[in-house]
Amino acid sequence: MAVCTPLAAIEPWVELRTTAEDWKAADPELLATMLGQLHIIRAFEESVLQLAGEGLVHGPAHSSIGQEGGAVGSIVGLATGDAINGSHRGHHQFLAKAINHVTNGKLNLENLVTGEIQIVLQRTLAEILGLAQGYCNGRGGSMHLQWFEAGALGTNAIVGGGVPLAAGNAWSQKRAGSENITISYFGDGAVNIGSVLETMNLAAAWKLPLCFFIENNLYAVSTHVNEVTAEPRLSGRGQGFGIASWRVDGMDPLAVHLAMKEAKARMRAGDGPTVIEVEVYRYFHQNGPFAGSAFGYRSKAEEAQWRERDPLLRLAKEMIALGLIDQAGVDTLRSQAVEANKLAVSQLTEPNPYADGKRRIRPELWPDLDFVNVGVRGDASELTSARTLEFSTYSGATKSSKFIDAIAAVLDRRMETDQRIVILGEDIHRLNGGTNGATKGLAKKYPGRILGTPISENAFVGLGGGMALDGRYRPVVEFMYPDFMWVAADQVFNQIGKARHMFGGKNAVPLVLRTKIAMGSGYGSQHLMDPAGIFAANPGWRIVAASTPADYIGLMNAALALDDPVLVLEHVDLYADMGEIPETDLDYHVPFGKASIRRTGKEVSVLTYLSMVKHSLSAIEKSDLDGEVIDLRWLDRASFDWESVEASIRKTNNVLIVEQGARGTSYGGWLADEIQRRCFDWLDQPVQRVTGGEASPSISKVLERAAIAGVEEIISGLEMIRQGFGGRK
Amino acid sequence: MAIVLRMPEVLANATEAILSKWLVNEGSSFTAGQPIAEVETEKALVEVTSEVDGILGRYLANDGASISVGAPIAVLLDKGETESDIEKVLASEKISKMSQVAPVGGVESDVEEMSATSEPDRVFASPLARVFAKENGIDPRSLRGSGPGGRIVRGDVRALISSGSAAFPTTRVVLTVASDSVPSNGGSYTGIPHTPMRRAIARRLTESTSTVPHFYLSSPCLADAFLSMRKQMNEWSEKKVSITDLILKSVAAAFSDVPSANVIWTPEELRQFDDVDISMAVATGSGLVTPVIRAVNQMSLSQLSSATEDLITRARSGRLRQDEIEGGTFSVTNLGMYETDEFFAILNPPQSAILAVGAAKQKPVVINGAVVIASVINFTLSVDHRAIDGALAAQWLATFVKRCENPTWLAV
Repeated sequence: MAVCTPLAAIEPWVELRTTAEDWKAADPELLATMLGQLHIIRAFEESVLQLAGEGLVHGPAHSSIGQEGGAVGSIVGLATGDAINGSHRGHHQFLAKAINHVTNGKLNLENLVTGEIQIVLQRTLAEILGLAQGYCNGRGGSMHLQWFEAGALGTNAIVGGGVPLAAGNAWSQKRAGSENITISYFGDGAVNIGSVLETMNLAAAWKLPLCFFIENNLYAVSTHVNEVTAEPRLSGRGQGFGIASWRVDGMDPLAVHLAMKEAKARMRAGDGPTVIEVEVYRYFHQNGPFAGSAFGYRSKAEEAQWRERDPLLRLAKEMIALGLIDQAGVDTLRSQAVEANKLAVSQLTEPNPYADGKRRIRPELWPDLDFVNVGVRGDASELTSARTLEFSTYSGATKSSKFIDAIAAVLDRRMETDQRIVILGEDIHRLNGGTNGATKGLAKKYPGRILGTPISENAFVGLGGGMALDGRYRPVVEFMYPDFMWVAADQVFNQIGKARHMFGGKNAVPLVLRTKIAMGSGYGSQHLMDPAGIFAANPGWRIVAASTPADYIGLMNAALALDDPVLVLEHVDLYADMGEIPETDLDYHVPFGKASIRRTGKEVSVLTYLSMVKHSLSAIEKSDLDGEVIDLRWLDRASFDWESVEASIRKTNNVLIVEQGARGTSYGGWLADEIQRRCFDWLDQPVQRVTGGEASPSISKVLERAAIAGVEEIISGLEMIRQGFGGRK
Repeated sequence: MAIVLRMPEVLANATEAILSKWLVNEGSSFTAGQPIAEVETEKALVEVTSEVDGILGRYLANDGASISVGAPIAVLLDKGETESDIEKVLASEKISKMSQVAPVGGVESDVEEMSATSEPDRVFASPLARVFAKENGIDPRSLRGSGPGGRIVRGDVRALISSGSAAFPTTRVVLTVASDSVPSNGGSYTGIPHTPMRRAIARRLTESTSTVPHFYLSSPCLADAFLSMRKQMNEWSEKKVSITDLILKSVAAAFSDVPSANVIWTPEELRQFDDVDISMAVATGSGLVTPVIRAVNQMSLSQLSSATEDLITRARSGRLRQDEIEGGTFSVTNLGMYETDEFFAILNPPQSAILAVGAAKQKPVVINGAVVIASVINFTLSVDHRAIDGALAAQWLATFVKRCENPTWLAV
């Protein structure tokens, strides 16, 4: 008979309820501040719903009415250096953090709404309405509220999507040696999503000062929490990851505050992340000014029961009982909050001259339409003073280096000169430099900066994104294979790629993502893509691809200096190649946005990158076409060298775009599109392309070869070009 | 009423011709039937005539210009009409300038046309070729495309410009048949520019050998009776009858015996002809021409003899009319005068057969079990297998040889 021994959790999981003693012991100033914030937030949310009802809020207005206790109770003690982020329902957290920031965490109930608070209300409302004076210039709206100076990292419209970013912020706080913590707010609906669970694991493994704050309002839109989990006490999730967890009545702001106090102490002591689950209730439906019961998924009786536990009422009642305020005082608070929000609304709206009795947004407050694409990336001005070196014209001393060793060398050099640089990825700290040797020798040399991650790309690249947004550190993230971007797609494209633009265009996002294309290595359908096309099609990213070790050094240096996310593409075929590099110089940049002409020719412009550069050169040697081979190097739209490419096309009038991977996700599509528009009158035939097939490369060696493009396919492409211009063999 | 005279379509599939010389001055009058201009095609000089009397109002093309078929070359006036009538007709036909273009220099590419278009106005040209042509004042419709599907590409425009020539006739779909760059083989050489005729020969014969499935049948012919027949005839006749005349007559007779061989192949149908129109290969100083003798089957020998003599004379002076070199259902080519024993001719499309005639030579032959000396002519028939099968061709050749060996019917 097997012996079964009960196992205990590593970290505690408790339910916290206040007692009369707690209320008596509470600081009256703290209680007053919480009551004031609750009223300001409640009145604000009522204004938003009012405007939504008038059709003046474009898009959803996710009201937090009923849930204010959790936000106010948890944020009230935070310093500005402490940070929060949140989800689509985040007005209350944002306002609590912003008000804390402008008032140093103390409200005067006699003069509740100071001028600074009034500005916070107006700018927050303006952002929700999509107006230029909003915190994100109207770009973010209700679901992307960010005010970095106040420690509000940005709310997020992807369920659970902000959580990995918060972990990055917490990592930076810890690494910087500060006492600050980060709270990531999300709902019961987000508890079951990968981003959250992966990040719980990662944050616990690395003991990050991150609080996973679950606002359990019981409903993910209309789906009850009991329908979607066997453990509806959601703080129980922490047990599986070794995270200390609290379950608290979120309608009791003091209870939340006390739980956060305990949690904060643990996080500051270096004991790792915490989970706080607050039981709250949103009085209205997912969004808009109607109760959830109107949509039939819950009863009015249930709503009435929760309303009796209203946090504003609860706190006022306790304070009245303690003699800290009377009802008239509470009423005055209410009217001050309502008036302040009315004022904010009146600053942004006016009577609609075309519809009697209706309001409209003041037309002059909308953002300028020219602003639409501003800040998709930075302007690369951070590279203007960089020392560039074009290796093809370099005349100094050189030495021979393996491509992979040049990678390790330049990473080493940058880590040596720039303490902000941190590398993270799977197995990069072991195996003598990761799976390929790109981080060789670095783990020993730079303790704490070479971070071997759990296999959870979404969490660790998101964590890198959080570091980059924070700005104190510059992460280099490695995806062992490019296809893993799909499992991390939300963080890579929806978060990191869009963050700067979405939050107003000013946030730098200095993240380098390294990955190696491995076509030819036999890893099969799910490891062998070329991701350039997908990254080029998504906003925000810059992409560089080096075909020589010397260029790799210069491109990596530029990538690490850029304030944008940069994908640095590598290819396993190149790793073992030998090439010349400057003998002692590891500090130069490849000129920004400059392609390199590897062979001049008159008959066709071959546009290619990475390992296909050498294959293209070899194909041209074997054909008798006079091809001009352009190694693109900078692949994204914003960095692309149109000057060189257009000049070449004007000369040759024929274009062959050469890449190795599958047609569907290929890079050349956007490029061909752009070329035919820019160079139409210079083309003597359609833009021709060499790519792999439709299928992903298979494990079978012969099928793998058949699925990808190589020298033979390029030769065929050149022949197609020849026929296209009427040439005969 | 003033009318615009346009470049006639002088040769099937040809879309341009050279206005070699005006024969009537501007402002001069001409009578019906009087040649107005001389037009040079790949095969012959053609005289353009008017069917009515009139005045040559204005030239719209200059001597030596290569002109697209259908392009205006002159305005013709009735008596009493003036400059304003010229302007009126030009305006109404939207003609604004001279039909191009530069003097001819023999610069077309070696191309063969494969299909005509159903949309004659749609020109397929690469964006670059369009711009390039426009910048150089070239109408893309005057170019032949060498790109896929007949697309006009940069190289086509460049070739035209670098040749110093201009407007080449358009048609769709072409394949070059010769390399653009022929190695010089190191030795010194003199470049002899291609004449239009040389190009036409090259194109048509290349097309023939590369698209027509040829087969060949040979037969010796005992020619003593045939030769003595000619001798006797020439003793009686003022007009000298040639061996060629007799062969042509025998060819026509053989087709009367085997009418199912008098056919040509077209993609849609086999065409069997009632008359026998024979193209006769004539060597000239500048190349080969093939004037056609019509309805040889209906001609007397003396009529035939007159006709061949006239055509040969005019062929050698380049004075054949266009209609005299078009058509023909069968060809005869004779190298006997050069002592050639036998040879294998290339078909002259769209014809289905050509007869190669060797020299009449005395040879030992076996007749009735005895070796005797006889005059022998070797005939070789080249046949398009698409139209004519081997047995039919053999039957025709046997009939023809029998007619030649027993020529008394010629006197009937």
